[in-house]
Amino acid sequence: MALLEVTNLVAGYGKVEVISDVSFTLEPGKSIGIVGPNGVGKSTLLQAIAGGIAPKSGSIIFDGKSIGGKKPEDIVRLGLSLVPEGRQIFSGLSVKENLALGLTGRRNKKGATEAILKMRELFPVLSTHENHQAGMLSGGQQQQLAIARALISEPKVLLLDEPSLGLAPTVITDVFDRLKEIIGMGTAVVIVEQRANLVTSFAEKTIVIRDGKVQSTLTPADAANSESLQRSYFGAGE
Amino acid sequence: MVQSILDAISLGGLYSLAALGLGLVFGVMRLVNFAHAELITIAAYTLVLTAQFPLAVSLIFTVLVTIFVALLMEFSVYRRLRGVNPAIMLIASFGLSTVLQRVYELMFGALPRSAVVAPFLRGDFKIAGLSITISSIITIVLTIVILLAMGYLIEKTSLGLQLRAASADFKTARLLGVRSNRLISAAFGLSGVLAACVALILVIQNPQISPYYGLNITILSLVGIVIGGIASLRGAALGGFIVGVVLSSLNTLLGNGRVYAYSWLFILVLVILLVRPGGLLSKGSELERV
Repeated sequence: MALLEVTNLVAGYGKVEVISDVSFTLEPGKSIGIVGPNGVGKSTLLQAIAGGIAPKSGSIIFDGKSIGGKKPEDIVRLGLSLVPEGRQIFSGLSVKENLALGLTGRRNKKGATEAILKMRELFPVLSTHENHQAGMLSGGQQQQLAIARALISEPKVLLLDEPSLGLAPTVITDVFDRLKEIIGMGTAVVIVEQRANLVTSFAEKTIVIRDGKVQSTLTPADAANSESLQRSYFGAGE
Repeated sequence: MVQSILDAISLGGLYSLAALGLGLVFGVMRLVNFAHAELITIAAYTLVLTAQFPLAVSLIFTVLVTIFVALLMEFSVYRRLRGVNPAIMLIASFGLSTVLQRVYELMFGALPRSAVVAPFLRGDFKIAGLSITISSIITIVLTIVILLAMGYLIEKTSLGLQLRAASADFKTARLLGVRSNRLISAAFGLSGVLAACVALILVIQNPQISPYYGLNITILSLVGIVIGGIASLRGAALGGFIVGVVLSSLNTLLGNGRVYAYSWLFILVLVILLVRPGGLLSKGSELERV
């Protein structure tokens, strides 16, 4: 059974419909990429799943429960955690405090210390800087912090909105290596990316969104074939 | 001279407590809660009307009543306005403030209500030939204790961490699991506790309670918040302190010219805002790091 099942989702802001019909499923411990041109509604889609905005229609079933329209603070407690676009770390708080905030969303209040230790192992740079203001970290370190902070609630699904945004290429490779480890530990991952090539080769499947709808589904094999990637990205015949 | 300095410090402390109460709510809701004045007023009324009971009983009752009114404000008005334009919330808080003043007038009358609260805190004592009022010492001690307790709560506890995070970015805080309703209620409850503390100090000095009792200090604390930097609680507390100290000092220094104390205060405010538009403790815009 799918862990996350999004069916005919419609979402947007006010009267504006940004996502008009999106469906996909995600199995436990798997990964899915979501690509598409700028402004196509990828972030809106993640916000609707994580509870940042209420869907207009369609259904979001997570772990057997309907979560469409629930509050974000309740959704994270069910085990679905979002790393928002632009990382959104609390730059005025210390690295340690940022991580501690991640504990708020844990279902199980026990094991908090272990969860923090685990994150330090996975992201050693965070221990080195734990008492520094998070705003002083480099972009790559901030992204690691944002991911670690979201993982502390031990989600079954981690949603990432443009994890490569503003990062240098070597740092991007590093972040995606960590993501691979995270998936290896059994967390399913949804990655929204502008860099279609990067995510298509990374995720088991990737959906292309255009005009608020799922345009096509790609596999890692398509990443090698730049022609088919471009066609699905920009639309056939363009 | 010594008494003047103590008066200045105690007034500064008092204003910083009021400013902190306003700053807490502003942080989580971006709401300038004008009706904070009415929290101070109801606390003062409760203190005076329960003055026949032992001070501890009267205090506990006052704190509970003030928290109740603060939570009622949040639940009945501000919760419905969450996320709307801050200007609308500000106007709503003016409205709420006026409504509560009328309610107090109906309940307690337009004439001041008065009673002797904590008579042992009145009068003065002598040290090295200097006469010092007990109330100024009590105010300073009480303020320090409350500020330290608030500092601990905000810096060291999980609730404080959530308040700081939500003040910086409520949306992200919620994504991490911070419960919005509970946190905003907590902020209002705490602002109620602070209003009760402010009322206690005010009532010791002036136990003539009218429906507008809390208005003056609230407006001046708002000035303090603007000076200190509206985005941070430290800034709010510092700004409130500065306003209190300056006002008290002006009253002493100007002698017969003290009718102009407010004018000089606001000239100072203008100068500070011209030099540091974001307030004394504001940070420059943070650069995005790559």
